[in-house]
Amino acid sequence: MKTDEALALTEMVERHGCSCKLDESSLEELLKETSLPATTAHERTIGEDAAVRRLSDERFLVSTVDFFTPILDDPYEFGQIVACNAASDAFATGATESLDCLVTLGLPAGHATIAPKILEGMSDALAQMGGTITGGHTIVSPWPFAGGAITATTTREQLLRTDGASPGEQLYCTKPQGIQPAMGAARIKDPPLVDQLTAAVDRPIDAIRDDAVAWMTTPNATAANAIAPLATAATDVTGFGLAGAGRSIATQAGVGLAIEHLPVIESTPALAELFGAGLRTGETAETSGGLLFSVPPGERAAVESALGEAGVFYRPVGHVTDGDGVVFDDPTIEQISY
Amino acid sequence: MARVDVRDEVCPRPALLVRDALETVNADELLIVRGDFPPAKRNLKRLCSNHGFGVTERSAPDGEFELQIKPTGTDTAMEAPNEDG
Repeated sequence: MKTDEALALTEMVERHGCSCKLDESSLEELLKETSLPATTAHERTIGEDAAVRRLSDERFLVSTVDFFTPILDDPYEFGQIVACNAASDAFATGATESLDCLVTLGLPAGHATIAPKILEGMSDALAQMGGTITGGHTIVSPWPFAGGAITATTTREQLLRTDGASPGEQLYCTKPQGIQPAMGAARIKDPPLVDQLTAAVDRPIDAIRDDAVAWMTTPNATAANAIAPLATAATDVTGFGLAGAGRSIATQAGVGLAIEHLPVIESTPALAELFGAGLRTGETAETSGGLLFSVPPGERAAVESALGEAGVFYRPVGHVTDGDGVVFDDPTIEQISY
Repeated sequence: MARVDVRDEVCPRPALLVRDALETVNADELLIVRGDFPPAKRNLKRLCSNHGFGVTERSAPDGEFELQIKPTGTDTAMEAPNEDG
């Protein structure tokens, strides 16, 4: 039996990364019961990736908060992922300027020594995004968690919303899926179960894990800047998976989404099959996932050119339809190596 | 009838433990899985569906679930007198 002091970060919690989020239906019930005001002084609030407040005719303040439990054991990498994930909600709203982060941190008693490494990871990742830590709050918590309240600004032209998608538009995503099976495999340490993993995939579990970490620590800021003038709707793919992100756009815009192509982290289809995880139906939790967005057919060349020039990964993944909800139309699977 | 207890286990371990147990179960034998992590129930059902295994949910104490798995693929419902619903 390990002592508390010897426990790895991921051993202190039952759910890891974005899979610790309250499930979608429970959250909807909670929002119904709380009767939050439908309109406020804000431009947009509940149901969007972030709250948007108009500062002037051309300037908008975007604010959001996100935090979750450790998805891996390295506190520095955890901090990087936390910062990328928290800021992503602002980026999905098109806000990438004047980026500030107020840290929310919870650590079990006796584990405060982890904090500087988590904060260092967050600070370095924010610096990469042009942002900074401006304060925060730390509590003692049985389950460790970290995150941040993010503010950023944007212009009217750059502002992205979830409700602008129209039938016939092309859907894109900017990161492959498969974070949950990749990181789940990395947490398996006992030999009989590791044998099952190594028999199922043709490359080392550590290599799959490293790919997942590389995607999670890739900020969505560059992608947001490239697509903001052209996209009609955008959101980021996180705890509710690609299906959940798609439902957000479908519901807000009153359209349907057909997913026809699915880029995934190399070797994660085999892991998902082993775990019974819903990778092929977009149901795996994607911690610090990419952007999902729509563009009119006439803007496809322009958005692909902008993403290509910016060095951002992207794939067309489907179309907006005049139906409702999200349909995974037996999507082709493309395995992506970072 | 074989049993595997995946209580206090979180994903993806329950699926791997069940696969391990299925290796030792005869084709016509049932495997009873008791767990308490809701996402594990969903994933185990998907795992069985993907492989064409028969799976039936049985009654279990609050906060837990019990699945009856038949590796040969036929629906186990008729053989599960205490199944839920």
